[in-house]
Amino acid sequence: MEEAVRHDALALERRLAAAGDVELVAACAEGIPEAFRELLSRYRRSAVGLAYQMLGNMEDAEDVAQEAFVRVFVAIPRFRGQAAFSTWLYRIVTNLCLGDRRRRRRTVDLEAVREPRAADNPAGCVTDGLLAGQILAEMAVELRVILLLREQEGLSYRDIAEALDLPLGTVRSRLSKARMTFRRLWNEALQSGEEQQ
Amino acid sequence: MTCILFERQLSSYLDGELPAARAARLEAHLRRCPHCRAELEAMGGIADHIRAASREMQVSQDFDQRVLRAMGYWQVTGRPIAQPRMLKPLLVVAAILLAITGAVRYYLSQPYRPPMPAPRGAALVAPASPGGTVVPERERR
Repeated sequence: MEEAVRHDALALERRLAAAGDVELVAACAEGIPEAFRELLSRYRRSAVGLAYQMLGNMEDAEDVAQEAFVRVFVAIPRFRGQAAFSTWLYRIVTNLCLGDRRRRRRTVDLEAVREPRAADNPAGCVTDGLLAGQILAEMAVELRVILLLREQEGLSYRDIAEALDLPLGTVRSRLSKARMTFRRLWNEALQSGEEQQ
Repeated sequence: MTCILFERQLSSYLDGELPAARAARLEAHLRRCPHCRAELEAMGGIADHIRAASREMQVSQDFDQRVLRAMGYWQVTGRPIAQPRMLKPLLVVAAILLAITGAVRYYLSQPYRPPMPAPRGAALVAPASPGGTVVPERERR
């Protein structure tokens, strides 16, 4: 009997792992908790990563991502699928991050972002990832979020417009500005590194 | 058109979002401008840098458990679980209120002690003297 139950659980797990997001959302709405666990495991890293790059602090990022998943869980029976699940989730994460920043009325403390990252790298060598993280932290949050949604999450312009509630033209111009800003800061950081050597 | 104007189109071009006519003009410019070609190539590498930044990040191992716990709490109470960052200020306020309540209760629980009699001839402050004047003890008698 126990063996049969375990077998059923494994079969369900495999089916959910192979299912698309739309099927998982439908299964969640029908009250299958394993479907939500699968969505959580698919998007955990993206949601926390997006929040982390926006807030610059892992503890706050995980709190925001946790709240976003709970909101998704509560609202999933009403989700009509007008947008992709990922777009919907990123929209919630982004709004929570912007709300969190507004509530605290402060920008990301750059030193707070830099210190732990530098401490992770005692040899003092700045990897691409560390440098990119520092540059993102220096960018205005409106530019940072659009760059992350496009370059990290691979959202289309239309999905970004949907997630951020912006006109398509604004997405286009803001993304261009974000990329040019990133490039300028990247070049400045490399030049300053060369001068120090 | 100068490079500055073309540079603004590189991002949309990179994503295939530039209208065909403008894309053709940009491509003609790219063929003769090494600066813009290098810029386009560098822009294409931004995604790799940003993904590298995300790889530096580690999500807590108990993250899923925390989410599932919060969802369970929601199912039972219909309210989101209190975030730790909200709890801290609430605890501070509760501690201050407790301290004030304790101090008031301690003050009220103390038995009333009449003032010690002053040495003869000394002046006393009259407790309910309307004018606030000092009345010598012998006059009050």
